[in-house]
Amino acid sequence: MSHAKYSVINTHVHNIDGVAKVTGRATYTFDVKLPGMLYGKILRSPHPHARIISIDATRAMELSGVKIVVTGKDTLGIKQGIWRRYEELCDEQVLPLEKVRYIGEPVAAVAAVTEEIAEMALDLIDVEYEVLPAVYEPLEAIKKEAPTIHEGVERNVNVTRHIEWGDVDEAFDEADYIREDWFKCSGQAHMCMETRAAVSSFTPEGKLTCWASTQSAYYTQGLLAGVLGLREGDVRVLAPYVGGGFGGKFELDAAMFCSAVMSMKLFKPVKVVFTREEDFIASKRRTPMFYYVRTGIKKDGTFCARESRMFSNGGAYTGMGATALYLSGFFHSFPYKWRGYRYDGYRVYTNTLPSTSMRGFGAPQAMFCSEQQIDWICADLGLDPFEVRRKNGHTEGYEVPGQAFIASCGLEQCINEIEKWVKAKGKLPANRGIGISSCGFMSGGIFNWFDSPYSFSSAVITINVDGTCELHVGCQDIGQGSNTTMAIIAAETLGVKVEDIRVHSGDTAHCPADLGAWGSRQTLMAGNAVKMACEDAKKQLLEFAYAEMGINIVYDLDIKDRWVHIVARPERGLPYGDLVKKALRAKDGQRIMGRGYYTPHRKGMISPAYSYMMQAVDAEVDPETGKIKIHEVMTAHDCGQPINQLGLVGQLEGAASMALGYAYLEDMPFEDGKMMNPNLVDYKVIKAPEMPEAGIIEIDTYEPEGPYGAKEAGEGLTNPTAAALGNAIYNAMGIQMKELPITPERVRKALREKKEQEAQK
Amino acid sequence: MINDFHYLKPASLKEALAMYAEHDDCKVICGGQSLLIVMRQGMVAPEFLLDIKHVKELSYIKFDDKDGLRLGATTTHREIEKSDVIAKKYPVLVAMEEKLASIQTRNWGTIGGNIAHADPAGDPGPVLIALNAEIKFGSSGGEKTVPLDEFFVDYFETKMEHGDLVLEVHVPTPAPKSGCSYQKFNLLDSDMGIVAAAASVTLNADGTCKDARIVLGNAGPIPLRVTKAEDLLKGKKLDDALFAEAGKIASEEAQPVADIHASEEHRRHVLGVLTKRMLKKAFEQAQKA
Amino acid sequence: MEKQVLRFKVNGDEYEVFIHPKTLLAEVIRDHLGFTGTKRGCETVSCGACTVNVNGRSVKSCSVLAIQCEGMEVTTVEGLEKNGKLSPIQRAFLDHGSYQCGFCTPGMLMSSTAFISEAKNPTKDQIKESIEGNVCRCTGYNSIVRAIEAVTQGKYKEE
Repeated sequence: MSHAKYSVINTHVHNIDGVAKVTGRATYTFDVKLPGMLYGKILRSPHPHARIISIDATRAMELSGVKIVVTGKDTLGIKQGIWRRYEELCDEQVLPLEKVRYIGEPVAAVAAVTEEIAEMALDLIDVEYEVLPAVYEPLEAIKKEAPTIHEGVERNVNVTRHIEWGDVDEAFDEADYIREDWFKCSGQAHMCMETRAAVSSFTPEGKLTCWASTQSAYYTQGLLAGVLGLREGDVRVLAPYVGGGFGGKFELDAAMFCSAVMSMKLFKPVKVVFTREEDFIASKRRTPMFYYVRTGIKKDGTFCARESRMFSNGGAYTGMGATALYLSGFFHSFPYKWRGYRYDGYRVYTNTLPSTSMRGFGAPQAMFCSEQQIDWICADLGLDPFEVRRKNGHTEGYEVPGQAFIASCGLEQCINEIEKWVKAKGKLPANRGIGISSCGFMSGGIFNWFDSPYSFSSAVITINVDGTCELHVGCQDIGQGSNTTMAIIAAETLGVKVEDIRVHSGDTAHCPADLGAWGSRQTLMAGNAVKMACEDAKKQLLEFAYAEMGINIVYDLDIKDRWVHIVARPERGLPYGDLVKKALRAKDGQRIMGRGYYTPHRKGMISPAYSYMMQAVDAEVDPETGKIKIHEVMTAHDCGQPINQLGLVGQLEGAASMALGYAYLEDMPFEDGKMMNPNLVDYKVIKAPEMPEAGIIEIDTYEPEGPYGAKEAGEGLTNPTAAALGNAIYNAMGIQMKELPITPERVRKALREKKEQEAQK
Repeated sequence: MINDFHYLKPASLKEALAMYAEHDDCKVICGGQSLLIVMRQGMVAPEFLLDIKHVKELSYIKFDDKDGLRLGATTTHREIEKSDVIAKKYPVLVAMEEKLASIQTRNWGTIGGNIAHADPAGDPGPVLIALNAEIKFGSSGGEKTVPLDEFFVDYFETKMEHGDLVLEVHVPTPAPKSGCSYQKFNLLDSDMGIVAAAASVTLNADGTCKDARIVLGNAGPIPLRVTKAEDLLKGKKLDDALFAEAGKIASEEAQPVADIHASEEHRRHVLGVLTKRMLKKAFEQAQKA
Repeated sequence: MEKQVLRFKVNGDEYEVFIHPKTLLAEVIRDHLGFTGTKRGCETVSCGACTVNVNGRSVKSCSVLAIQCEGMEVTTVEGLEKNGKLSPIQRAFLDHGSYQCGFCTPGMLMSSTAFISEAKNPTKDQIKESIEGNVCRCTGYNSIVRAIEAVTQGKYKEE
């Protein structure tokens, strides 16, 4: 089956926010300026663990231009968290009352007439701390003698997750070969170009408006209302343009909270923007993970059993860490059929920056371990890494026992394409290798830990007299292009052009609720809602066409390229514009409106649909210095039906850049709880000269659950790269890299150890 | 946060030197690409800031076959990078500039400012020393010229005293049968080097080594000349074994300081590798010259 | 310390502002003149989001004292279009999808614009180097490089 030919879907469509973005008209929270606006700054804890004895803001208040200083005592003191259904996981007071648990944690906030005065005021706030013993590593924090970070939480074990199917011990007995390895995966900073930012404005009617750099205006609205004691309906969140999110911007952050608290006291707008340094030290990060992986396999390459244990460094609070804990363990089994599988994940509190979701949601770490170990097993047994993956890979119709049903799967084609590509490269020069990694990812989660009563996604389309449409959606465009994707789906469904659709998003007052941009959910979930809404509107519109055209009952009408026509006889019809006018008049001047919504039901434990892919990384190592050069990345990718062509390429290349950074450049070393490189000089983000070509081979499948057969593209693509690079280095140099990031020093160390081992033989 | 300052804008070099001598708590700004960072961090907060960006007399690139290259202190990095004569006569300088920070920085920042800042991780220092450059600096009281490797005294400290401005960099005409090469070790192309090495080699008519200069970047408080390794090579017929040995000496003589980016061991090791490689490259250039 | 008058051109128009000499060019552009197209993303002159052109050359406006631009011509992203007609590089960005969140985009456009005006038949590597000073977290740079390449290859003419 080849991808169907559509009018709009999968064609070269300009991003609909493009002109605003390339002309400087796009306004971000960072740019918002309101009359009488004050500037807020946050005082942060210098200690990793301490009791707050007293906070004296007298000197700060005496500074001319300072309007207010707030601390936890000025708030309702509510412990919040995004896992609202689970009270024990709502463990974070944004401005704590009793204790600070990581260096950088907010302790007080100031609002002043200028940013400079607010910053000076910070030095004038006197905080008395009682420093407590601190612990920084999960394997230390889990010990009996470790200091308790959250009262009542034994051994600092925040969350545990267990995934199991089959008889694992029996499956291991069947194995001819068993291998076990330990891995250490680092954290990563989201490093959005726009730092955390919010402008809050509370007015005498008791209503709060908050501009926020957020991945979910709805979550921000709910979370703010909850901690401020307001009705959700009295909180309006605006997010017209957002400068990146990557998983770090859908929780309640201190910019949102502190600006709102101060505005509510002053009845003036207050703006809080994190500096880049604050963004590094005080916005949550990707979860560092220690992975123990034990795998049993038959000598013919059939996978029998896997048993893994993972300890994650949760940092000071839960955040989205509970989800990352589960998803890591689930995708650690992907994309293979295991007779027996067991995963135990432990998320441990430490006195460091809290860890949370970040693009890939625990899967990049899981794949780094799994995909490398598979290659090492193949090497141990003399098996072909492509063949082994093909042999054990998911197939359409497979059920991951108790977890997931795979309705569409292009994995085998992905493996075949990459195998061809790698073989065509031929023999490579010395110190150079190609490594592969396959994986898959979810298209949104079935989870509702937020305890939302609303459909996961909703959409409303209204048709104006001239045929232009207002499409109201709650999904959030954070750069990935969801506005454009929804416009494409709407245009295709309704039979019009993208320029006929105006997308409204990022405003809780005008748009329906949507869980927002995380877990790669929006194309499938919001896309389904949009499709449903447009089908509804089209049906209503066509009712008038049926009446108008009076055709035989056996014939159907449809709309394509603004032409309403008989499907069997497309030359017979009338212009869409004419029909709209007639329909409006016939409805007594009422515009046609279509409603749509989507919530996954009975779709297993994780997701309604899964993308699949195999990626190859071509890399070279300088054996003397350990420096790595990435030559090329190639990915064969199954996202069902691609919707937004330019968007898809952008997601692939962007994911590759972020994933490469995770693999060999970005490191967040901490010393005694302090991040040592909270700036862009010392935190290495990939730049244009290092970025290799990243090609894509699209694999054709159709996902029944997705709009037009579409599923996710963009987050899954972050998953394979660290593993593929590790495998490339293994193939080039024969060394096994078990720790991230893969630095020149670690490469040299591994080369030295390999040399020593060979000398001993 | 930058502290407030009185802004001084001289129209000529003479006026600049006079103003500088007149004000004690005064810093000089031209491109400000190094200075503004430390001022924003509050580490430097002068009462007066003397802006010499518009002092045109200090912006020039002159080349003469006998005299060599003279760069006015306020010449931007980008002007050096794009100079045809420098590309022809001192390609190593163009190569070094191409990897110095970003184009934006090079468009505004100057060679004089870079040298005056005296960051041992700076790129121009080691390269210019390898090219046997000298530096002219002066105040309203007079001028002085010293070899560049005597100009740097310590981390961010030069021989200059209050009232002195960097005026000119002078690079002698390259000797016949000479070559010079520079490389820094970093993760990202245009980052400052975690460590770096510059090497120049001049050959006798019979192909033996007449002169060698090895200068290490970020291997101590100032760009480090490894004279011990240079002496090893002089008069000899150069080969890979000698380059490796010179590298080993460089590795031992260096005084690198560890930080989160690399341990001391790694820095020493890479310095040795870079020295070896740059010597070989310079040697090959010299052979072709 | 006394404020001073700064007179300069921004996007073709004369402006006069009264500022402390310590004011950065980025602050004058964004806060005094209201051109918020230019962004700021760091404190260490690293990210390039603040890139503007001064007398045709790209600079990081967070690392330039505004007062040094007396009498000069500054161009920001808002100044690239002429009477609603987008410049070649802006059109190329639209065609190639060379942006996602858009926060780095103004800086990228300014670096590209300066580079295109100076470069003659640049190689792909030279194009990559031209945006080395601009960090992008979303696109992976390649679509931006493709857009610049298309313009330097003459595929887009001034309208």
